[in-house]
Formats: sequence, structure tokens, C-alpha cells
Amino acid sequence: MTPILRHKDVLIASIQSALSDADWMTLSDELSRRIGEMRAKAVVIDLTMMDVMDSFATRILRTIAQTIMLRGAQTIVVGIQPDVAMAMVQLGLAQRLEGILTALDLDQGLGLAEALV
Amino acid sequence: MNLDALDIHNDEISARKDFLEFGDADVESLVAAHEMAQTYADPVIEDFYRHLLSFPQGRAFFQDPAVLSRVKQAQGNYFLDLTRGDYGPEYVRNRLRIGAVHQRIGLPFQIYLGMYNWYLRTVANNFFEANSKNPAQALKLLLSLTKLVFFDIGLAMEVYLKTIEEQQEAIKELSTPVLQLREGLLILPIVGALNSARARQLTEQLLRAIASRRAKMVVMDVTGVPAVDSKVANHLVQTVAASRLMGATVIVTGLSPEVAQALVAIGVDLSSVKTAGDLQSGIEEAELLLGYRVIRVEAN
Repeated sequence: MTPILRHKDVLIASIQSALSDADWMTLSDELSRRIGEMRAKAVVIDLTMMDVMDSFATRILRTIAQTIMLRGAQTIVVGIQPDVAMAMVQLGLAQRLEGILTALDLDQGLGLAEALV
Repeated sequence: MNLDALDIHNDEISARKDFLEFGDADVESLVAAHEMAQTYADPVIEDFYRHLLSFPQGRAFFQDPAVLSRVKQAQGNYFLDLTRGDYGPEYVRNRLRIGAVHQRIGLPFQIYLGMYNWYLRTVANNFFEANSKNPAQALKLLLSLTKLVFFDIGLAMEVYLKTIEEQQEAIKELSTPVLQLREGLLILPIVGALNSARARQLTEQLLRAIASRRAKMVVMDVTGVPAVDSKVANHLVQTVAASRLMGATVIVTGLSPEVAQALVAIGVDLSSVKTAGDLQSGIEEAELLLGYRVIRVEAN
């Protein structure tokens, strides 16, 4: 279960370990519900602890971002490590995250979220 | 590789032979065996390749029958060279050349050594068979041959080592610095041809720099890349995509008119890549996006 934290009008989901497919689905449901409740304008998803991003995880990340956009907020993915980024590009997964905001780490992600209207 | 770079001249050759205690007596006994060698050269070479090709790791290198018949020919010549009595500069050059050929096709050195071992064992059997009445004679001949074979192995090994050295040198020359121009802004000037290995190394280096310098913008200048084909373009796209995953925007600069036209003609999709005409405009754009304003304090 991934905890969802709140910082001002931003939701933060910090993924702590490799999630099962079901965990991802739960996270997706939870985020889209909480976004309305808390009237958040952005969701920051922190992947710092992830040492691998597979095809399913990438696809669901995209789905989450699209859902959140429909709910009127933005998604910012942060903390992708160099090795993970390299692997994702080589597996052709990077395109799936096109159009989603990214930032180096939580700090820069929150900065980016603050700059959003 | 350039064999002259190895620079093995007469003094060096003599020094090596001295160290192996390879002397006139050895030459004599080898030359005396030349006639015998001629009689069983062909079957030995046939067996040699039968052995080599019975292993998948040997088979992989000799798929083409034309190549195989050529190397058999060369191997046969070498086999007879061993007892011809001339082990001077010409002989050394031939050994180096053969070593270079095997290195170039990527034959592992273990196989090289393994086949020498096979040679010695087979030839030893032949020696003792031919000199069944005089085993001491056969042993003497075998020891002389062993010295010569070790001399040859030394030469082949040298080619392999020299190549590794040259490659490391080349990599060092080609390594690309990632420079920080301002806080949050990195410059990556790429000079020289890009292949997959280098593109990968370069991307890894850039991603680490993005993380450690907390960069948000990268200006990647390809003015110094001589040719950008679809493969190189894909590498660039990958580098840009990987950087973006880490939250950094890449601006590619220095695509010349020829390169730009070629890329459009071959249909490479660079629409996901931000570009600017030259390094200066790339830096200016990056500064603008980062919120820097550069002002000249005094007109001159």
C-alpha cells in the first residue's frame, strides 16, 4: 500500500518498492478519488526507490496521469534514476511517458507543481 | 591494427629466442624434421579443423566455406614454416599478421591457446611414432618445437594486448566532457563519430551529471559529429528521452544544413527533440527557459 501524502495543494505518492499490478491499480483508484476530495492541483509520483520500471508499470503510470488530467490536475513524475531511465529508453518505454511532466527529485517536482496555475 | 606499431626488430627477436634458449641446435633438429612434416601436414591440418569445428565456439568463426579453405591453406603453410628453419623478421611478421587476423575476427585467446596445445599433442604423437626406435630423438625435437611454439604464442598474444591498448586509447580520446555552464544548465559538446557503444556511454555519463549537478537544461552540440544517420539520430532521440525522464530538457544544436536535409530525407522523426541553430542560440534559449537574463553592463 503506497501512502499518499499532502503538501499544500499537492498530493505526493512515494513508491517504496516494486508494486504488484494490483497495488498499482489501488494507487490509481486512490489518487483519482483523493484528488477531488482534497482539491489538489497536482500529483507528484516519486519513483526514487524503484530500481526497475517494466512495461506494465509504465503503462499504468500513463493511465494514472491521463486520469488525473481528466480530474483537472497535473501529474509530475520524479526521481527516476539514471540506470532506470537508460533501461526505459532502451526498452522503448520512454515514449509512453511523453507529455507527462518530469522532474529530477521531489524537491524540484514540488517546485514545478507550485509554478503550475 | 598497425603491425609496425609493435616494433619488433632483430635485437628483440634475438633476445626472445635467447630467453627461450632457442638456438642453432633447435633450428637444426626442426629442419631435419621438415621432410617428415611434409608427409603428414595435410592430415594434421584436416584433423586440426575437425577438432576446432566440433566445438560451437570454434564453429562460429568459420561459417563461410571459402574462408575455411583459405585459413586451412594458411595453416598448412604455417605448419611447414615451423620446420623450414627461417625464424627471422619475415617469420615474425607472418606470426603477427596471423595473430591480427584472428584478433580481428574476435577469436578468443583461449581457443588460440587450445589449438596450439592440440598441435603439440598431435605432433608429439607423430614424432614418437616416426622415431619409435629412438624416443630421445623424438623428445629433443618436441622440445625444440615447444620453444618455437611458445615464441609464436608470445607474438600472437602481443597483438591481442596491443589491440586492447589501442581501443582504450581511442575510448579515452573520444570521451565527452559534460560541462556545467550555469546552475541547472549543462553543455555536452559531442566531437567525433557516434556509434552505439559510445552513445550509450555518453548517455549514461549525461544522466549521472544531470543527477549530480541537478540540471534542468542540457545543450547538446553535435557540430563535431561528422555524420548523422538514422542510427545516430535514434541515439540522440534516446538520450533526449532518457534525460527527460529525469526531468531535464535537452536542446540539440549544430545540425548542419546537410545533416538536417539528410535526416528529413531518411524520415527520422525528431519532432520530440528541441533544436536550435547553433550552440549560442541553444544556450540563449536554455538561459531564457531557466529564467536567466544576460545583460551587457557596458557597451564597448
